[in-house]
Amino acid sequence: METSIKITLKNQVLLGLLALSVSGCSDGDSSFAYSQRTQSLIKEAQNGSEGGPGVKQTLDTRFGNPQQLKAWMKLPVEWGGSAASVESFAASDTEARIKFVAQEGVTLPAVASSVQFVTGEGAGQSIALTAWDEKTGEAVLAGVPDKTPVSGDLCVIDGGSTLKSGRVLYMRHCSHCHGAAGDGNGPTAQYMIPKPRDYRHGVFKFTSTNDQSKVSRNDLLRVLKYGIPGTYMPSFLLMKEDELHAIVEYVRFLSMRGEYERRLVNELASDYSETAVSDRLASEKASDIVEELQSFLKDEFPATAETLGDDLAEIWTSADTEDAKILPTVARVEDSAESRQRGRELYLSKTLNCADCHGIDGAGNGPQTVAFEKNPVTNELYPEAGLHDVWDNPNQPRNLQRGIFRGGRRPIDLFCRIHAGIKGSRMPSFKNTPHEDIWHIVNYLLSLQFESDPGTIAAKSVAPSETGE
Amino acid sequence: MKKFWALFFWFWPLVAILVCAVAPSRGWWFPSAPLSTLGHQIDGLFYLILIIVTVTFVGTQAALGYALWKGATKGSTQKAWFSHGSHKLEIIWTIVPAFILVFISLTQLDVLAEIRVISKFPDSVRNAPVAEVMARQFEWRIRYPKPGQQLMNVPQPGDLYFVNEVHVPAAIPTMINLRTQDVQHAFFVPRLRVKQDAVPGLIIPVWFEIEKAGEYELLCAELCGWGHYKMKARIIADSPKGVSEYLTRLEQEQNEDGVAEVDASKEQ
Ligand code: HEC
Ligand code: HEC
Ligand SMILES: [Cu+2]
Repeated sequence: METSIKITLKNQVLLGLLALSVSGCSDGDSSFAYSQRTQSLIKEAQNGSEGGPGVKQTLDTRFGNPQQLKAWMKLPVEWGGSAASVESFAASDTEARIKFVAQEGVTLPAVASSVQFVTGEGAGQSIALTAWDEKTGEAVLAGVPDKTPVSGDLCVIDGGSTLKSGRVLYMRHCSHCHGAAGDGNGPTAQYMIPKPRDYRHGVFKFTSTNDQSKVSRNDLLRVLKYGIPGTYMPSFLLMKEDELHAIVEYVRFLSMRGEYERRLVNELASDYSETAVSDRLASEKASDIVEELQSFLKDEFPATAETLGDDLAEIWTSADTEDAKILPTVARVEDSAESRQRGRELYLSKTLNCADCHGIDGAGNGPQTVAFEKNPVTNELYPEAGLHDVWDNPNQPRNLQRGIFRGGRRPIDLFCRIHAGIKGSRMPSFKNTPHEDIWHIVNYLLSLQFESDPGTIAAKSVAPSETGE
Repeated sequence: MKKFWALFFWFWPLVAILVCAVAPSRGWWFPSAPLSTLGHQIDGLFYLILIIVTVTFVGTQAALGYALWKGATKGSTQKAWFSHGSHKLEIIWTIVPAFILVFISLTQLDVLAEIRVISKFPDSVRNAPVAEVMARQFEWRIRYPKPGQQLMNVPQPGDLYFVNEVHVPAAIPTMINLRTQDVQHAFFVPRLRVKQDAVPGLIIPVWFEIEKAGEYELLCAELCGWGHYKMKARIIADSPKGVSEYLTRLEQEQNEDGVAEVDASKEQ
């Protein structure tokens, strides 16, 4: 698999995109919904013109739709598939037989239904297989290809298989909450607080990565396995490892698609949104604006679209590297009444000021929860008091007395929450706080469920009462 | 044609006898052989009731067929006999079923008591739940006491948490405390024949003795909302040593401070 990705990456220029048709599926929407922001652009920016594609087409050629996914090989998604090369090829008028050898370190799949050629004459063509023998690597092609493959041509067998199975599982288990496009707005989402995650910001809350980094694959896997206690996000522990792996890749795919859409719109919104254009019409002619847009879409936008993809690939790739990971430099300070006491002092201190949001006793009722805020985009007051997250949903600081930690209750989980903050939410990053101090706070947080005043439970935990109360 | 109906009603008891004779050996009634001690007794009760019901069904169908056959073969001149208002008959068909029902309810009392009545639980488990199983829309959240400690109804420092997987010892009686955080759910382990509703506000002890180590499916058997079908978990029955090793591992994991990982990565 690893190799498959490398090979296809190397031949990106040749291949660029892999069309992964998911045929015979009727359980999904036939297109990914476009975001509201895309729809706030003027029609010409959404749809493009002969000169150059607009936002919608730019997206669709790179990501496809749920029935016909596309793999934009630039992006760090494990699409799945086995890299192989052609050993021999023989065709009669009616039948074409081909023999593959797997690339080093790759095993051929047990079942295979298509092959995509990466190099040689037929590069880019994708042909279905009607018969497949995993042991010998021999296959019968569904038709006689126009361009004859020759020995040594590189190809991918069943390219995109991981993404495709991820899609099927996602549609079955997740889309009713998270939506087919990952917009967090599936049919059951309206009943939930907090709302299911809208992946399209590319932002995830519970990560083990630095405050500036994306979510890692392992973080997503943990969320899937253990769920998010205290919310409606259930645990999918009983799913098989390879199923979880496929879903994680599909979630990444949807996140990158959504984030890419946001970034494309950012390029156009300031000049070509409906509101921007109506402002501009005071001093400019409509036809001039459209003409200017068209030349922008023709001359600059395609290159921008590629660069944005490169940026995306870079940040998502780096999230899985060691550099992105939060590593405490000191071991957890041993839990003791003194440490908790110190934690509480830090919690209340002017510099950290956790109480401003979480309240003096950690009940989640600090002064910030009653103040009214402005929406940073529209500059209008929100209708309800309290904090709001990047998804524009009310964001209640956690009641820390309940002992329910959504991102996990391990000391390292809480360390990460404090160090990196909770991304997308209003819980800020305290990355400049000395690690030892963070551990004191962690000890305090873990004790809050049992006592509001540090120092009383040490004795209790040694001798639990007989009655159980 | 009249005879057809008599034969028709005589045909079904034959089918019933055949099915009841063949079914147990083919495993048509249950997903598997019972794998807990109580399971054998519960299956025994099931078969007892099955026999009673089969005999009753065969008897009444045979009588129905007989009446039809007689009607069909007698001449049309004979007058019908009306049984309506016969006190004797009414007394018979009230007393016989009542007797059967009382018999069934008395016979199952012992087993029911073993399942439900705490004072009848095996001594070794009565006050020693190994875990709290908290049902919640739509998953099972598990809480174990800190190794070496007792499970309390209120969370204690050092408690261990997991989701959708319960480890319990095999081959000895085990008890869990069943609770729900929201609506009614039901703790159902088909292969153990254990089924118990979880009721808001109650802590319900459930005991069982799993005969063989292995993995058992735990399902919610009370329609609890739109995600009801998702409420699946597994029970892992292991040797007592295996369970305590698991809990030690879980404790280590839960106290993870991420620093060991640093050392490991430096060594590479
Ligand atoms: C019952 C509705 C529901 C279902 C089904 C569901 N989720 Fe969620 N999910 C949620 C909610 C609600 C949240 C937000 C929790 C929060 O904000 O704290 C969430 C959050 C998430 C997150 C974000 C975690 C983070 O760190 O920010 C991911 C990833 C996720 N879900 C993936 C999935 C996947 C994959 C599936 C299917 C296998 C799935 N979810 C099924 C409701 C659901
Ligand atoms: C500006 C407001 C704000 C401040 C200051 C703040 N928090 Fe938070 N905190 C939040 C919000 C909002 C959430 C809920 C985030 C979410 O899940 O969406 C939260 C969540 C948390 C959680 C829950 C994590 C979990 O896994 O469930 C912890 C623990 C926490 N904060 C600790 C702290 C500590 C310790 C401090 C001070 C060092 C602090 N917070 C300062 C707003 C704040
Ligand atoms: Cu349920």
